[in-house]
Amino acid sequence: MSVQTQLTKGKINLKGSARIVTEFFNFGINSILFQRGIYPVEDFEVKKKYGLDIWVSNDISVTQYLKKIMDSVEEWLSLGMINKLVLAVNSRETRETIERWQFDITVTEESKGEEKPQAKSEKALQMEIQAIFRQIAASVSFLPIIDEKCTFNILVYADSDAEVPTTWTDSDPLHVKNAEQVRLRSFSTDAHRVEAMVAYRRDPDLC
Amino acid sequence: MSDYSTKSAVGSHTAQQSKVPSKPFKDERHVNPSPRTMSRPSIGGGSESAVLAPRKGGPPSPRQKKTKASQYDRFIPNRTAMDMASSQFNIARSDAPQPLDGTTIAYQETVANACGVSMNKRILTFKEEAPTSEKDDLRQVYSRPALKATASTSAKRRILNTPERVLDAPGLVDDYYLNLLDWSVGNMLAIGLDQSVYLWDATSGDVNSLCQLEGDAYIASVKWTADGTYLAIGTSEGDVQIWDAETQSKIRTMSGHQARVGVMSWESHTLSSGCRDGSIWNHDVRVANHKTAELVAHGGEVCGLTWRSDGALLASGGNDNVVNIWDARTTVPKFSKTQHTAAVKALAWSPWQLNLLASGGGSYDRHVHFWNTTTTARLNSIDTGSQVTSIQWSNEYRELVTSHGFPYNHLALWSYPSLAKIVDIPAHDTRVLHMAMSPDGQSVATAASDESLKFWRIFEARGKSARSAKADVAGIVSASAGASVGVSGPGGSATASALDISRPSYIR
Repeated sequence: MSVQTQLTKGKINLKGSARIVTEFFNFGINSILFQRGIYPVEDFEVKKKYGLDIWVSNDISVTQYLKKIMDSVEEWLSLGMINKLVLAVNSRETRETIERWQFDITVTEESKGEEKPQAKSEKALQMEIQAIFRQIAASVSFLPIIDEKCTFNILVYADSDAEVPTTWTDSDPLHVKNAEQVRLRSFSTDAHRVEAMVAYRRDPDLC
Repeated sequence: MSDYSTKSAVGSHTAQQSKVPSKPFKDERHVNPSPRTMSRPSIGGGSESAVLAPRKGGPPSPRQKKTKASQYDRFIPNRTAMDMASSQFNIARSDAPQPLDGTTIAYQETVANACGVSMNKRILTFKEEAPTSEKDDLRQVYSRPALKATASTSAKRRILNTPERVLDAPGLVDDYYLNLLDWSVGNMLAIGLDQSVYLWDATSGDVNSLCQLEGDAYIASVKWTADGTYLAIGTSEGDVQIWDAETQSKIRTMSGHQARVGVMSWESHTLSSGCRDGSIWNHDVRVANHKTAELVAHGGEVCGLTWRSDGALLASGGNDNVVNIWDARTTVPKFSKTQHTAAVKALAWSPWQLNLLASGGGSYDRHVHFWNTTTTARLNSIDTGSQVTSIQWSNEYRELVTSHGFPYNHLALWSYPSLAKIVDIPAHDTRVLHMAMSPDGQSVATAASDESLKFWRIFEARGKSARSAKADVAGIVSASAGASVGVSGPGGSATASALDISRPSYIR
């Protein structure tokens, strides 16, 4: 059952919404990896999605790595057990987090009694997601230039009773020291609301 | 963001020492604790109760004692009840306010969560590390990566660690960018030693000197034609000479290159020559005006050049770290690959999959990349650990052998597509500069600057083809011309031996 048919039915259930949000994360993470130069430019190719051209990694190891992560994330989303997803960019030498992209997820509960005014149209959802992607691309203008070799970590803030496969382990939140935070736009499907923000190291020279 | 707002609230809580359990240890050194602190249950363990000895039913409230200033009050410590270790630690601990680093924020966050709605959140991270990108930094060149563990060889096939035969190769120029070794279909091995080219007949063992250059010129490359009748010799002056091996006479000289011709490749009657200035010329050797095309795309010396077996594509690698794939009909590269971070000398087309190309990088790169030349995608990569000087695919097995220079000077045998290393053969004392495969596909010859030419039987034929292996001229050919593939079957030798230079027959 495709998301399209679910939408035309008028309401997205939690599972379908989880799929949309996971897809958004996948493309979002790829986009951030490209923009911040975590991987060299030639490892990326353009894919059309949400009415935009989004740079997606074509390196097999990266796509497989992300797929494994996204599978777990989608499951947790459909169960409503996840409330934050964080992409932490760490410097390879110092192992410090230099940038932190945080996506807060809230499950919009069914309001008791009253019907939802109108299921969100696919177009409106797409516009919202588009806006976030444009913001990520635009964030290059204020985010500090990353000179060093970096790697990334995906963190998930999950409920303690969530079922955790062995591939995941507990971790610190990997906050950025002396951080500047910028809140980005959000989008919401019928079942989830995703807010985005980025934290980066405050440049000591600028003031 | 919510973290930050809550954090300040928690911070103030700490100062007031209210019901939030924060760091309690500051109090123990006070001999006169306030009654409020006294009534608080001791959290820090033994030390507190020991210091606050009066609580244990001792003398009345210390406040009363303090008023009699003139009276001396002797504090008798109860050492047995004290926890020396922890009190020592706490005394030594500084009072400086902690900077707001990650752990503090996390702590505050946890506390905030405790104050807040839910306490049951876990922060999870994926155990596996994210894959690293190909381009490594400068430190790589000084590091000596350890050789990876090798998989055991298959039981039936023996791959000896010692060469089958060793010959002398005095005067071999120690230059990575030259290609001085080639093995023809006729089982003749041509090697360029400084100013002369020697032909070694593998069947009889005879050695002949084919030619000698004058002056300061030296041999830069040698290449047999597909049928093994003519040998092209590239010189340091930029000349390409065509010699007839049987009559040992020079047929023609094609000049024009501005710098040395380090690598060549035949495609029926077309000879491609790669030059130090980065240009590749296509020559039609039958015509007087031999230069038919000029392919300019490399910014550095062209050190790898090989035609695909069907003659449709030409792969070239240069000192500019670029691999270019050319369509035979155009002079602009079909596509370029810049994944390598060092000169690409090793190039080899797979004999069983027509669009599979393997390319190996130099000492800074050490990787072998596999490309699908139809889709231009990179299929696989191996980090071999040493400078890659040559790659040869096996016809019989789904394997490839790579020869290496700095730092281990070895041969490595890999299976494809699993990319498992089958064996490492320590080959030479110095860099293995050149490698050529025998016409029967069972042995490889390697030449190194330690002036030796060694033969290794690594693709020992199995079963039926073994009987036709050695003496059969029309046996399996792979690298001697790079332009054609002849396949031998039990009865096929007759037709295959009638190879001529115009269009060799092949079975695919």
